[in-house]
Amino acid sequence: MTGKPVKVKITYCAECGYEPQALDLTKALMYEFGGRLSAIELIPWESGTFDVSVEDSLVHSMSRDGGFPDPRQVSAAVRARISTPSR
Amino acid sequence: MTLDRSRWDKGITYDAFKTAMTRNQERFAENEGRVSLDPETVRTFKSLPKPLRVLVLAEDWCGDVVANLPILGRLAKEVPTLDVRVFYRDQNLDLMERWLNQGKYQSIPVFVFFDENFRELGHWIERPASVTERRAAERKKIFAAHPEFGSPDAPVDQLPEDVRTRLQAELQKMRDGMVSFANGEVQRELRELVSKVAV
Repeated sequence: MTGKPVKVKITYCAECGYEPQALDLTKALMYEFGGRLSAIELIPWESGTFDVSVEDSLVHSMSRDGGFPDPRQVSAAVRARISTPSR
Repeated sequence: MTLDRSRWDKGITYDAFKTAMTRNQERFAENEGRVSLDPETVRTFKSLPKPLRVLVLAEDWCGDVVANLPILGRLAKEVPTLDVRVFYRDQNLDLMERWLNQGKYQSIPVFVFFDENFRELGHWIERPASVTERRAAERKKIFAAHPEFGSPDAPVDQLPEDVRTRLQAELQKMRDGMVSFANGEVQRELRELVSKVAV
């Protein structure tokens, strides 16, 4: 049994030029999960932000965790969410 | 810190940097048009006894470059003894390593002042601390005035899209309102920097 498709949000600092990292992560998730994602939302922000949320759970924050996320860690969070049965 | 002539010659002029911009060209031109040079700044630089070379580390995607490099560019137009050369940070990481912010961050822009013999006289990085501090204070005020924006430390992706858009507009308005203060602070720091060094 699988859960409903998952939404991922990537908030990146546009002023810092973090577009390549945001796009790389987006591409990796698109290829790995395809239609099992309901959406990937890209949010241009400021202040050195690079946050990734899977549904409403923050799985990486540059200010909290430092640096950019390991794509494998984000994939694992998405996979865990997908495998959660729908209620 | 010294730099050799052949490396210096690899830098591009301020105008060449503007022409080559693939992003933010309009914003850059707009900021350049908004720069109001303090007569004291022009006087300070014009009164220097010898010409100065200014090495700039920059990238066109960087907000602080787009905000602050036009100030130096305008100043160099007024002060012909100021020779500016721009180097792209990501293509010149060895140079970047020499002028890291707090010894660890690759912050840009970096303005490094040299005498005619490439002897370093001083450098300036990113933006004045006073600007960062005021921005943080203004940001706090915005959140205090708008409880719907939640906590300033909470991830913005948790906000409903319409609220997030309003927050984005408020932050932009705050930044726009600070341009004059920020430009003045950049000029004050540059004046202080060159006044301290004997050229």
